[in-house]
Amino acid sequence: MKMTIHEVARCLNLHVSTIERWIRQGKIPIQKTGNGYLFGESALKKWAAMYRLPFLIPEKVKSLGYEEKPENLLSAMKRGGVLHDLKGDDVETALKFAVENMPVLSKTSKKELYQLLLERERLTSTGIGKGVAIPHPRDPLSDALKSPVISTCFLEKPIDFGAVDDRPVFVMFILLSQSIKIHLHLLSRFSFCVRDNSFVEFLKTSPDEAAFFAKIADFEKQLDRADT
Amino acid sequence: MNHQLLHIFRNSPLGRETLLQSIYFSKQVKVTPVVYIPKFTKFLMYFENDVVQIDLDDSYLMSQDTALEHATELLEQAGVEPRFFDPKHYTASTLPDIHTNFDYMSCPRSISDLSSKIGLGYIGPRVRRIVKSAQFPVLITSPVYKKWESIAVFFGGSVNAFNALKLGFRICRISGMLLDVFTLVENKSQESYEKLITDEDLEKEMSRYVNKWHFLKNRTLGENLYDVPHNALVVLGAYGHHLLKTFVFGSKMEKIQSTISNNLLIVGPNYTAVI
Amino acid sequence: MRIFQSWRYPANWTIFRLDDRLLLILVAIIVGSCSGLASVVLNRLLMVMFNWFHDLRHYWWIFVLPAIGAALSSLFLEKVVKEGAGHGVPEVIYSVSRYGGLLRFRSSFSRLISSALTIGSGGSAGPEAPVVISGAAIGSNIAKYFSLNDRQRITLVGCGAAGAISSIFNAPIAGMVFAIEVIIGEWKSVNIVPIAIASVAGTEISRILQGNQIPFSHRLFNISHMDILACVGLAVLTAAASILLTRLLRFMDKISKKLPAPLWIRAAIGGCAVGLIGLFLPEVLGKGYHEVQTMIEGAFSQGLAIVGLVTIAKIVATALTLGWGGSGGIFAPCLVIGCLAGLTYHHCLALLWPSVSWVNEGCFALLGMAGLISGMLQAPLTGIFLIVEITGGYEVILPLIIVSAISTTLCHYIEPAAYYMKELVEYGHLLRPGTDARVLSDLNVSELIEKDCIAVTQNMLLRDFISIVKKSHRNYFPVEDEETGHFMGIIHLDDIRQYLFNPVMYDTVFLGQIMNTRVEVVDPDDDLADVIRKMDANRLFSMPVVINNRFIGLISKGNLLDQYRRELMVQTSQSV
Repeated sequence: MKMTIHEVARCLNLHVSTIERWIRQGKIPIQKTGNGYLFGESALKKWAAMYRLPFLIPEKVKSLGYEEKPENLLSAMKRGGVLHDLKGDDVETALKFAVENMPVLSKTSKKELYQLLLERERLTSTGIGKGVAIPHPRDPLSDALKSPVISTCFLEKPIDFGAVDDRPVFVMFILLSQSIKIHLHLLSRFSFCVRDNSFVEFLKTSPDEAAFFAKIADFEKQLDRADT
Repeated sequence: MNHQLLHIFRNSPLGRETLLQSIYFSKQVKVTPVVYIPKFTKFLMYFENDVVQIDLDDSYLMSQDTALEHATELLEQAGVEPRFFDPKHYTASTLPDIHTNFDYMSCPRSISDLSSKIGLGYIGPRVRRIVKSAQFPVLITSPVYKKWESIAVFFGGSVNAFNALKLGFRICRISGMLLDVFTLVENKSQESYEKLITDEDLEKEMSRYVNKWHFLKNRTLGENLYDVPHNALVVLGAYGHHLLKTFVFGSKMEKIQSTISNNLLIVGPNYTAVI
Repeated sequence: MRIFQSWRYPANWTIFRLDDRLLLILVAIIVGSCSGLASVVLNRLLMVMFNWFHDLRHYWWIFVLPAIGAALSSLFLEKVVKEGAGHGVPEVIYSVSRYGGLLRFRSSFSRLISSALTIGSGGSAGPEAPVVISGAAIGSNIAKYFSLNDRQRITLVGCGAAGAISSIFNAPIAGMVFAIEVIIGEWKSVNIVPIAIASVAGTEISRILQGNQIPFSHRLFNISHMDILACVGLAVLTAAASILLTRLLRFMDKISKKLPAPLWIRAAIGGCAVGLIGLFLPEVLGKGYHEVQTMIEGAFSQGLAIVGLVTIAKIVATALTLGWGGSGGIFAPCLVIGCLAGLTYHHCLALLWPSVSWVNEGCFALLGMAGLISGMLQAPLTGIFLIVEITGGYEVILPLIIVSAISTTLCHYIEPAAYYMKELVEYGHLLRPGTDARVLSDLNVSELIEKDCIAVTQNMLLRDFISIVKKSHRNYFPVEDEETGHFMGIIHLDDIRQYLFNPVMYDTVFLGQIMNTRVEVVDPDDDLADVIRKMDANRLFSMPVVINNRFIGLISKGNLLDQYRRELMVQTSQSV
């Protein structure tokens, strides 16, 4: 593969004019020929190693960034599914039923998840007010998920969750993600929705899957607009 | 736009014409003129692989007290904010250095000689050396201020001709003027030139910017060049061919510049054009 | 055709692409030979002129001869070749520091001719600096011809200087040491090897054409311990002499500049004065190598008073010649003054302690030369090797080192910059590789600009601004005018943090109200050293780069450190 000096500059994370100056000053093993440049990639790598300069091929950099690409709510919620009329009289039982009914996880990780959720609840309640709770493990699960999952659970009857505003919780969103960063990203998007009172009222009607997803998609659009 | 044009100011009527020409060029191409008012009769320009000493004649130092005033006046009349170049470094106490990362430079046909010597067909040796080593195109002004209203690019197929062509596209894009391409057909056929364009992947740009491509087939150069509009900015490459070939056959640039009196924008071998 | 083209680009040949050392050595041979030839030419010219004028010495009007010579040389430099003012060697160091050793072609012969006129007619100056400049310019132009890069060109400039000094003194080691110590200032094997080769080539050329002779041969000296002790006193004396010479040169330069006359008239006045001194003390005229020879042989049989007077006269004559615009170097006058100072010292010793059997006076003359060269150039190694080689006197090495070291140190106390470097240091042009100043001058503002700033307009509400803050990676936001796009000011998050969490202000505050309009801005053509000085003075971490009222980007200390470090790594690594 033939590289251009622009690519060389990117590999070394330097400005192109720096590379051009180095060529002029003879600090880098690149020769100028009329209107082109002459160099070998391996020689450059050797040179960079000799001077302890970082030399990274940009493809690698790109793939690293790809992994962290943020998700949106809708796809995570679709993956997590919507549960209606979940039984349970207190936090433990409600979570137990919810975890058992989650569509994606294996049996062992469900057990682990349940323990983690309880642990998290013991620290402080995840009831964020207005009758909404978002139970989630403090650290990502041990068998890493490929992508984040949000399970929406409408409770049969409101339960006391020890929420910040002491109101009983009628809906739980169990939020699982593979990294803290994605967790925060989703949390921030989700809290944008909950801030809207009409959305909470809408949730109280325990809507069916299709209507719920449509509403979320609507919010996502608003969020994306604000971002750009 | 943060592109800059270097102008060396001569405080004389002839210098005024040159400055007016530079200002006109700057306004069309949307660059900022930077004016250097010499305080010594010589200065150095350090290029990538050459250092050129420019010896000015005494007319550049005439009535220094009014030079700044005159230049400011001309620039302000044209609605351009005056910018002056003040050399920061000196090779010797009377030998200032002028840095060379400008985007254009404007020169009279000869920097160092008296106006009586400036005739057609003469480009001073130092202007040549600037062209040869500069990384910027050099605007060689016509002796008298003359507005140009279209662009004429000479294209002969060499590497530099491609640079000139690209520069022509660029000026066309910025100024919005009509661009004509002229080719002096010698031994090759018209198709071979068109093939060169295809090989360089410039067809799209050609159809986008170029008004007409003229192939000049008349016998004498004078007849050929009569087709070039008198009010066009002529863009052409210099030193495109090998040294030996130029030595034997003479350079096309020389022939063209000795025949027409238009403003010339000359592209040297060290310039790399971006459209 | 292809071969014809490619032989001018040898650096692109496959064998030289990965390692250019062999190429540099080959080119160094050419450069060394050419500059050696240049110095032989100058030497021959001076010899011819000396013979012409020798017969005229007894006429009374001879004192105008140096005036004519100096005036002609000044006219030649000013009007014919249009060289700038200045004596040349600083120009070489300047170009090596800042422009990768680019020198004009005309420098390769101009000073040869002008100095031949000055010295040949009797001006008190030396031919060495002119040949150094010529050699350096030859090296630079050969490098230019082969399209070599800056590093290779600098090495070849050093090669030229080394070849010239080696050839004129028939002293290869001195040439090599001079080029590295004074011209290049960097002891690296990539430089040393080609320069050594060039020294050999230069010396060989001179030996072929002029024969292999030691310029100032002498008898064997027997040096006792007392003599070594006495050297300390001699070192003090030579240091004093070199400081006197430096000061006097500068003083003469100053008064000549005040004189409202063309340069050539000034040079003529200086020459005339030298001629007048020469009427009474002919020893001061010319480069004075003949006198050096007699003194080293111990055949200079004048009393203390005369020798002392001649010392002072030579210093004055040199200052008159060079300070008033004659062309030439200080090497040869330094040697003569050193000799005279050594002789004076010996006479004083003999007068004060007549019972001690001091070593021959020639030895002190020789040590004096080393002291003066070291003191003037503040390059002790050059002084030591030069004297050892031109006298062939290895047995005096111990006192030689002592005199050189003490003289350099003393001069450094009083005149922190050497004669050649004085102006360069004053204007901040002495940029030795691997120093802070060099790194900063190599980097430029446009390489450091960070462009990922989001521009805002002054009529934007704080609420809209907050959504922009969310997206931005930076703490700085340039404010631009909506219509013209002109830079108005900058918003730094630190300045407005308190408002950010106050929702009441979101819809009441415009950005125009909270931006900082009195910001220091940077032009891309500014020197980085100045930029950093501004940053430090105002305790800034970042500064906006603005051209023509338009915001281009940001320059920050964080990025600067990153680039600075890389530059330093590339510049100073010892592995190459």
